Amino acid sequence: MPHVPTVAIVDDDEAVREALGDLLMVSGLACHCFESAADFLAARRSRRFDCLVTDIRMPGMNGIELIERLHDERARMPVVVLSSVLDEQTRMRALALGARAWLAKPVTDAHLLGALASAMGSAGPDTGR
Amino acid sequence: MRGADVARLSPAPEDEAHAWSQLMQEGVWEGRVRRLTRDGDVRVVETRRHLRYDASGAPRDVVEYARAGNRPDGPVPDRLMAASWEIDVAPAAEILSLIAAPADGAQGSERDALYRRLVQTARIVEVNERTARLVGGNRGRALMAGQSVAAFWPVESRAILAELIVEALRDSNGGGCQRRLTSDGILRDPLVTVWRAGDDRPGRLFVTVNGAADDDRSYLFLRASEARYRKLIHYMPVALWQVDASHMGKIYAELRSRGVTDFERYLDDHPELVELAATSVPVTDVNRCAIELIGGAGVQDLIRPVGYLFTESPASLRRVMIGRFSGRRNYSEFMKVRTLDGRVLDVRFSVTYPEPLIELDTTIFSLEDVTERLRMETQLRQLQADFSHAARVSMLGELTSSIAHEVNQPLAAIMTNAETSLRWLARDEPDIGKVAQLTARIAAGARRADDIVRRIRGMAVKQAPEAVPLALNEVVQESLLFVRHEIETRAIRVATTYARGLPPIVGDRIQLQQVIVNLLINAVQAVEGLGEAEREILVATATDAAGGVVFTLRDSGPGIAPEHLDHIFDGFFTTKAQGMGIGLAICQSIVAAHGGEVSASNPSGGGAEFRVVLPRARPAA
Repeated sequence: MPHVPTVAIVDDDEAVREALGDLLMVSGLACHCFESAADFLAARRSRRFDCLVTDIRMPGMNGIELIERLHDERARMPVVVLSSVLDEQTRMRALALGARAWLAKPVTDAHLLGALASAMGSAGPDTGR
Repeated sequence: MRGADVARLSPAPEDEAHAWSQLMQEGVWEGRVRRLTRDGDVRVVETRRHLRYDASGAPRDVVEYARAGNRPDGPVPDRLMAASWEIDVAPAAEILSLIAAPADGAQGSERDALYRRLVQTARIVEVNERTARLVGGNRGRALMAGQSVAAFWPVESRAILAELIVEALRDSNGGGCQRRLTSDGILRDPLVTVWRAGDDRPGRLFVTVNGAADDDRSYLFLRASEARYRKLIHYMPVALWQVDASHMGKIYAELRSRGVTDFERYLDDHPELVELAATSVPVTDVNRCAIELIGGAGVQDLIRPVGYLFTESPASLRRVMIGRFSGRRNYSEFMKVRTLDGRVLDVRFSVTYPEPLIELDTTIFSLEDVTERLRMETQLRQLQADFSHAARVSMLGELTSSIAHEVNQPLAAIMTNAETSLRWLARDEPDIGKVAQLTARIAAGARRADDIVRRIRGMAVKQAPEAVPLALNEVVQESLLFVRHEIETRAIRVATTYARGLPPIVGDRIQLQQVIVNLLINAVQAVEGLGEAEREILVATATDAAGGVVFTLRDSGPGIAPEHLDHIFDGFFTTKAQGMGIGLAICQSIVAAHGGEVSASNPSGGGAEFRVVLPRARPAA
């Protein structure tokens, strides 16, 4: 049975989470949605994800802090940022920390799926630790 | 002769007693006296005497002008000292014929009504100085000419005057008819004489009234104070109208006696009463300022029924009437008035109603031209609106990234949902149920985006402020939406306490939101430097002891530097590097324009507190 890649989505907005989840599902990807970075980090302790799609502006831990955390942990899981933040400094910071792509909301499906495919194609699955 | 007693100049001093008493009472006397020459001859002298007063108003001396009379000798003729009238009853010909009709034609009250109409219709041709002095107010002889006799003749004796007119017209030898009246508050036991002017002047009658002024002691002081009063009125830098609404007062009294209490409703049912007031309540005097305001060549142009003051604001006259009916002492409002040359002015119109139980029924209107002031106020309002708009746009600038984020969320969801739908539809067996679900989500997302855009557009567009009833709690809740993201992404705790049953306020929703959003942004900035656990904003609504509606916003930040407390609402005062320093100044001007107050303090528990007090909406008038 072929491995179905699992994508984690972190976005505080429920409508965005639901929409992304459905898109990935119909595109043949498995996905898990999280309302906050903390929820994702908690789930990551017990399972692995092949890719992370995260927003930047979020209550609690924001997207940059999450990427920093993963970077500090030397996680190999590729990260794709999907955000409406326009700040160039923040974008540079995310990319410097290893984010594979910075996509601006709203994003086309082709664009997002393309970024996910290229991110996952060039990295091994996240082993969690 | 110098130093001689005046009495020794007269052959019969007692004849002059009346003349002297009138002079002392009225200040002026004119007539004929007899004088003893040094060699004992008697001369008749035409004399005019003026009494002069000292600064305290007490009589000081008498100036007498005299010239030798060339008329026959005789006692001091009463007629010269009398109040004399020439009247024209030609306009009353029809009334006279009704009165003259067979004796059984007009009886009792019907006849009284005809008498009243007769005096009402009879016109003044001319009066002498004494008449003008006694009953003319300060209109002077010239202005009395042409007016109704009834406008000046005391109401109690109008029927007697009418009878005398009728008798005099019937009297074939033209000798005149006389009647002694009871004191009428002007003259004591006056004797009225009426006679025809002569066959060459049909319809003309002469009327004289003889008698001493009614109150020896006070008359002079009354006159002196009245003269001062008139001078004061005349030169008062406020446009004044003196109005005689006595007959309306009688109508109101009668309506009240018939049980009418809801006069507004009565006027709704009887609009003709307002029309009657407009056409029948005469202006009896105006001052210089009134002429300057309304135009006209002189006083006489403004001495007519009051209607001309209300052509632009007929409802104002109605309210003036309601004010009097309900027993108010005065009434004031802003209205428009048309000048005689056709310009329309904004005026503050005030009425002082006559005091009950005081006989003279004099209503005073005052008009103050506020056109220029209103124009300046409009300009200031415009300027204030422009500034608050500028401040709003600048405030939205501070929220740009929040706004972008907020709008993009639903757009992102919509776009993704739409593309997912297309993918479902592109399958060999399209999943219609799934597509329906996604389409519903698209619609919901679009509605959400629309709400956000609408809210932000409301803040961004420039529009004239409105004054509508608002619930403060709603305004606060809407304002919080603007900064929701600012608050959430900074993990700031916001505690809200909304008072229940808050009375409505009146104002512009957007401007009040602007005030609250501005204060919220400041609070967010004040607490964002603190540790996450300490970031706190308390928002509350309440009413204060005076019945005002209160919004308070307290933050857990460092508070306001004491030296800044007095300046934070000043324009261009700022502690922020990029701030223009107009935010709080605009907040204050917006709150002030709403009749409220905004204040800042450092409460004892720490942090800063802003307090906005707005007046509660008045119940609809």
